[in-house]
Amino acid sequence: MTPVLEVDGLVKSFGGVTAVDRVSLRLEAGAIYGLIGPNGSGKTTLFNCITGVERADAGRVLLDGRRVDGLPPWRIARLGVGRTFQTIRIFPELTAVENLLVVTEGDWEAACARARELLATVKLERLADEYAGNLSYGQQKLVEFARMLMRDPGLVLLDEPAAGVNRTLLNDLLDAVRALRDRGRTVLLVEHDMKVVMGLCETVFVLDHGEKIAEGPPGFIQGDERVIEAYFGR
Amino acid sequence: MRRVVLPALAVVLAALAVYPTVASGYGVRAMLQLFMWVALAGSWNLISGLTGYVSFGHIAFFGAGAYATALAIARWHWPWPVAALAGGVAACLLALVIGYPCLRLKGPYFAISMLGLNEVLRALVSYFEGLTGGGSGLSLPTLEATIPIYYAMGAVAVAVTALAYAIITSRFGLRLMTIREDEVAAEAMGIDTARHKLAAFLLSAAGPGIVGGLFARDQGFIEPLSTFALVMTITMIVMVLFGGKGTVWGPVLGAVVLFVSQELVWARFPYVHQLLFGAIIVAVVLLMPRGVLGVLQQRYRLPRTI
Repeated sequence: MTPVLEVDGLVKSFGGVTAVDRVSLRLEAGAIYGLIGPNGSGKTTLFNCITGVERADAGRVLLDGRRVDGLPPWRIARLGVGRTFQTIRIFPELTAVENLLVVTEGDWEAACARARELLATVKLERLADEYAGNLSYGQQKLVEFARMLMRDPGLVLLDEPAAGVNRTLLNDLLDAVRALRDRGRTVLLVEHDMKVVMGLCETVFVLDHGEKIAEGPPGFIQGDERVIEAYFGR
Repeated sequence: MRRVVLPALAVVLAALAVYPTVASGYGVRAMLQLFMWVALAGSWNLISGLTGYVSFGHIAFFGAGAYATALAIARWHWPWPVAALAGGVAACLLALVIGYPCLRLKGPYFAISMLGLNEVLRALVSYFEGLTGGGSGLSLPTLEATIPIYYAMGAVAVAVTALAYAIITSRFGLRLMTIREDEVAAEAMGIDTARHKLAAFLLSAAGPGIVGGLFARDQGFIEPLSTFALVMTITMIVMVLFGGKGTVWGPVLGAVVLFVSQELVWARFPYVHQLLFGAIIVAVVLLMPRGVLGVLQQRYRLPRTI
């Protein structure tokens, strides 16, 4: 089967720093993948290369077997890649529902109905007409998550979804991620909270200094010597 | 809301339509200028108020339209309404050529590039004396057409405001706002920001181009310094910031309040109005960065149609 996402020998340097160094990944449909590594190990840069925000220096990115590296971010998004950001990036002076509506195409009424429905799934229906900038941090995170779902992306990239979110909200968010997988979507998430990673992901990739140093099920990764060394030092 | 706004609008428009039959020459002229400012401020709002790309040289489109129209009338003897529309087309073409490279620039770099465009155009117009008359200006054949120009200018002001209404209440308008709010996120959500920005830029150039043409016909004489006047760009910006950027009626409100106060103050104290303008800029930026309507919109949850 063609993988949903294939990253092949990706390289990205900033000046003298190689942020991503010959990284290769294969993501199959209907699974949750984790991407972990110490700060500065290249996780977000890898996300940016996959979504077209950064242009890789070498290597290929294939989406359902089709090359997408070099395409602008909006094209890649339209091919079915949704993402959330490490620091929330919503549209603060738009209302919550408008944040979702800008993503839609076609019939306006249907789009409004769908946007409100999606906000309801993250329990924000009563705040739909509030300016997004007036919402709490956690609520903004949910708006960003719901907005990402508006295009019903086949591949979902989440950059630290659990950071700064309280327990209740976190559980809602994790349930939503599992629901995505159960509908056959593929999820790749960057996360520092190991409990979240271990409880959610089927396969984990570990980056260190831009290189992929390990790959496997969470239990296996935890015992890997290179991983322990990367996190705790020799 | 609609039931109040629509009849009120109809009354205002009807009053403005009969105004020239009862007003003095000065009154008609002042109102004509007010129309011009409504159109200019409303146009600046389309690109800068919505997308956040602050154009510091928007009067360049006014100047380009003025010169295109003046040349069409003086050299090729076109009727002035056609020539003014041609001025709008010329401004749009200029926006297309200049927008493609410049809209890639972010923040202050875009603002400065537009300022540069205005200076370059002014220099070019001064340089090509054979065509434009250079620094000594370009005279148009005499024609008494203040009343028709009054209506034409009014029509442009109404058209720009109607266009702003149509855009701001549409998905296109919301997408322009996402560019202002967070361009990276907008791209990540599948919005083709480059095309949206260029479209908004073209639409924002049309009004100033036509208005510039009407201005040239009305004045009967144009020269580079007063046609590419930076102070006019600044006036547009202040009007929009005061009224509320990104709103339909903010630029109209800003133009009315500032133009009227400028006329009243200016009549008595020629230098004080500049002081007043400076004070308004400082006060607005410090006290209500969203402008009058922006503040009302946030506080009372008004719809975007206001």
